[in-house]
Amino acid sequence: MKKTTLFVCAMLIATVAMGGNEKYYQKMGEALSEFSACSTVEDFQNLANKFRVIANVEKEEWLPLYYEAHCYILISFMGDLTAQEKDAYLDNASALIESMTELAPNEAEVQVMTAFYHTGSLVVNPPQRAMSTTPLIHAAIAKALVMEPDNPRALFLRISNEMGTASYFGEDTAPYCAQAKELLQNWDAYTLKSPIHPSWGKEEVEGIVRNCGE
Amino acid sequence: MKHHIFLFLLSLAQVSLVAQTRITGQVLDANGESLTGANIYIEGTYDGTTSNLEGQFILESSERGEQVLHIEFIGFKGYQKKVSLEGRAIELSQITLKEELNELTAVTITAGTFEAGDKKKSIALSSIDMVTTDGSSGDVYGALQALPGTTTVGESGRLFVKGGDSRESKTFIDGTLVYVPYGSSSPNTSVRGRFSPFMFSGMMFSTGGYSAEFGQALSSVLSLQTNAMQVEDQLNISLLTVGAELGGTRSWEKASLTSTLSYYNLTPYMKVVPQYTTWDQEPQSLAGDLSFRLKTGKSGLLKFYSTINRSKLTSIEENLNQPGSSISYKLVNDNYFLNTSWIGEIRKDWILSTGFSYTNNMDKAAIDSMKVNEALQGTHAKLSLKHRISDRVKILAGTEWYYKSYGMGFPGAETGIQANYVNNTLTGFLESELYASSRFITRVGVRFEYSDYLKRSSLAPRISTACKLGAAGQISLAYGWFFQDPDDEFLLYTPELEFERADHITLNYLYNKDQRMLRSELYFKNYRNLVRFGWSEEQDYTFINNTGEGYAYGLDLFWRDKKSIKNGEYWISYSYIETLRDYLDYPEQAIPNFSSKHNLSLVYKHWIEGLRSMLGTSYHYSSPRYYNNPNSQEFNGELTRAYHSLNMNWSLLLKQNVILYFTVSNILGYEQQFGQSYASTPGPDGIYSSKPILPGAKRWFLVGCFITLSRDKSINQLDKIN
Repeated sequence: MKKTTLFVCAMLIATVAMGGNEKYYQKMGEALSEFSACSTVEDFQNLANKFRVIANVEKEEWLPLYYEAHCYILISFMGDLTAQEKDAYLDNASALIESMTELAPNEAEVQVMTAFYHTGSLVVNPPQRAMSTTPLIHAAIAKALVMEPDNPRALFLRISNEMGTASYFGEDTAPYCAQAKELLQNWDAYTLKSPIHPSWGKEEVEGIVRNCGE
Repeated sequence: MKHHIFLFLLSLAQVSLVAQTRITGQVLDANGESLTGANIYIEGTYDGTTSNLEGQFILESSERGEQVLHIEFIGFKGYQKKVSLEGRAIELSQITLKEELNELTAVTITAGTFEAGDKKKSIALSSIDMVTTDGSSGDVYGALQALPGTTTVGESGRLFVKGGDSRESKTFIDGTLVYVPYGSSSPNTSVRGRFSPFMFSGMMFSTGGYSAEFGQALSSVLSLQTNAMQVEDQLNISLLTVGAELGGTRSWEKASLTSTLSYYNLTPYMKVVPQYTTWDQEPQSLAGDLSFRLKTGKSGLLKFYSTINRSKLTSIEENLNQPGSSISYKLVNDNYFLNTSWIGEIRKDWILSTGFSYTNNMDKAAIDSMKVNEALQGTHAKLSLKHRISDRVKILAGTEWYYKSYGMGFPGAETGIQANYVNNTLTGFLESELYASSRFITRVGVRFEYSDYLKRSSLAPRISTACKLGAAGQISLAYGWFFQDPDDEFLLYTPELEFERADHITLNYLYNKDQRMLRSELYFKNYRNLVRFGWSEEQDYTFINNTGEGYAYGLDLFWRDKKSIKNGEYWISYSYIETLRDYLDYPEQAIPNFSSKHNLSLVYKHWIEGLRSMLGTSYHYSSPRYYNNPNSQEFNGELTRAYHSLNMNWSLLLKQNVILYFTVSNILGYEQQFGQSYASTPGPDGIYSSKPILPGAKRWFLVGCFITLSRDKSINQLDKIN
């Protein structure tokens, strides 16, 4: 009898202690599961709103901000939007990146998202912005790799950037194919800090490797 | 005991069995259009939802008691409402969100103004354009001459705006004045700006009706913003047919330092390409720049820029006063310029800007054996505070101090003549921007100036307003008074002069949609208090006073289309002007020699993907200008040839970090003539002998190679070289 009581008490303490946190993981998990189903501006806006709600509660967590920014950057890549509209979405992402950089200044993933944001900004008007944004992209990737040399997303961005440039200038892309293959092989060796930490990118690297094979 | 646990579990279960409260509503904008994707949530909880295509939402919450409901949507002001959650359904029906006024969506005043920046919606000319607009060869002022309102004056190269002469245009870098923005050159040859377009990330070029923040300019203001902090270590190498430049950048977490060394020498080029001008020593210059950026606090940025430059040249000209002989003109220019600024948010919605500039310019000229030295020292300190009272009301207030010392001396002359004057000008300005809605803005400002040399003050009102017409069109109107000190050469002799004055009225229509922009502008300018000088009627004394006057009115048209042609864009700029002046030593009202009635520029650029090349071509036309022939009875009665120039350029991205650049101006070799210069005294036959004023050469060629080595790349490059 006593044992049962103790067990129930322990359970209760654990539940209370985990309480908020569990709900956070649960809500994040729910939202993240929707990522793959998003395809339109509305879908991503919807999802961004979900992360916004979580971020409003969990003011110390950078991950909701990270994913919210990710949604807005992905929206900016969509056709049918004017340059002005794309910039409005990217401005949102920029503000989120600023806040999460304050929360997690030494987090490689934050730098990866920063590089991704600058890439989005570049794509809005490449002739006008290439000169100002390219160094910002390089700098963010470099920072990420200093913080975490094996971060697969930082490595992916670096390879795809350099490979894009090489193929544009008609140079040999074989070394980058080799790097992509190696990255893919080691992809799963990278341990996520939690199930809700960023894990995207593997499909993109698979795409690169597939293209290399052709 | 068992009973207790049961009760406890029951109470736990109850928590999750509490009836949910359902909140429903519809989110609309001010026009009653539904807003899809608005975020609706209860503050501090995970309960949230998104509005659907009809703007409707259903939010279910298990919270109890007084809570705050938030509705948010990009571009709109957030909406908050206290709700009491008791399990009963709450119906909010229609909620209208107010549009948030921000730079990107709200109307802006465009009368007289061309703005360019990364996100400015009506980009007229970016720094890339300045380089790829051929004919200008990377000269800021040359490129601006492809915009309406300006006149191409080939023998000067400076900015002449809407019937104003070049000293009526002022250049500001990061808010502070550049006293000597142009390089030095021999008489009647074109000058270039001192600064590379690549230094700047934004610009505002106003051809009239500008803000009370700017003064001491009767015609136009060019305000340039330098680049923000550099984030990558870099080495830049430029090799040109006329010189070379080497620059290095070191960057840190919160700071960056760039230094550049440049050397230009036109001797080899001018030996190869035939010139009209005869040179004893072709132009050459040596310059060093230092630029430092430091991020301070959360939003502050400190900028420091300093440049030192020495240039020299000696040209040989036909001596019109003694036919058959020639005179040499030697010039050595030393220029030092320093500029520093700090901008930061000192409190929420309070932005403080401070700036300081210092110019020290010395021109040492020798015309044969006669030496003339001109020395200018100037500082400009500026402090301004911008306060955003709400998204509808902004206030700008500031004060400035200008110090200028100008002197002229003839060191060789026996008498050792020299003259100097010092002027301190104190100014204050106050301006407010009021948005009645996102479609209607009014800007009202006033500017005060006091000069201790002239012992005079001025008060200049400025008012402008803009109104959006539909989604793409807008109309704006600007009116203001503008004052400026008389020219140095007059102030040197007397402080008994007044400020010169111009009043502007500008009406502007702008249509901007889908990468196409039409801008048309009507303006009227009235000049008064211009300096006049000459001999009295009895020829017994010289006078100098402020009785000069004049006017200018005209139409400017600008059309830019980045959409119709794939990978191509073009613009057409046309200006029409009617102007008369009676100033300086004019005997009567006349059309000034820097004004041409019609000015046309056609610019086309095409990106050739396969060649990674940008090809640009442009054609410029200016109708004939008037000049004075002393052999004729009529003042300013002779006409030059019309000006035509067809130019081309080609930029090739050879590698990611290597750009090749070619440019040719006046390909077709049109005969260009900028006027006629005359002897100062008539010859024995009573006729003033003359010669035409021509450009330096028929055509201008430039080939350049620009290499950027960043840290990663530099390793690769060095590997290859070794």
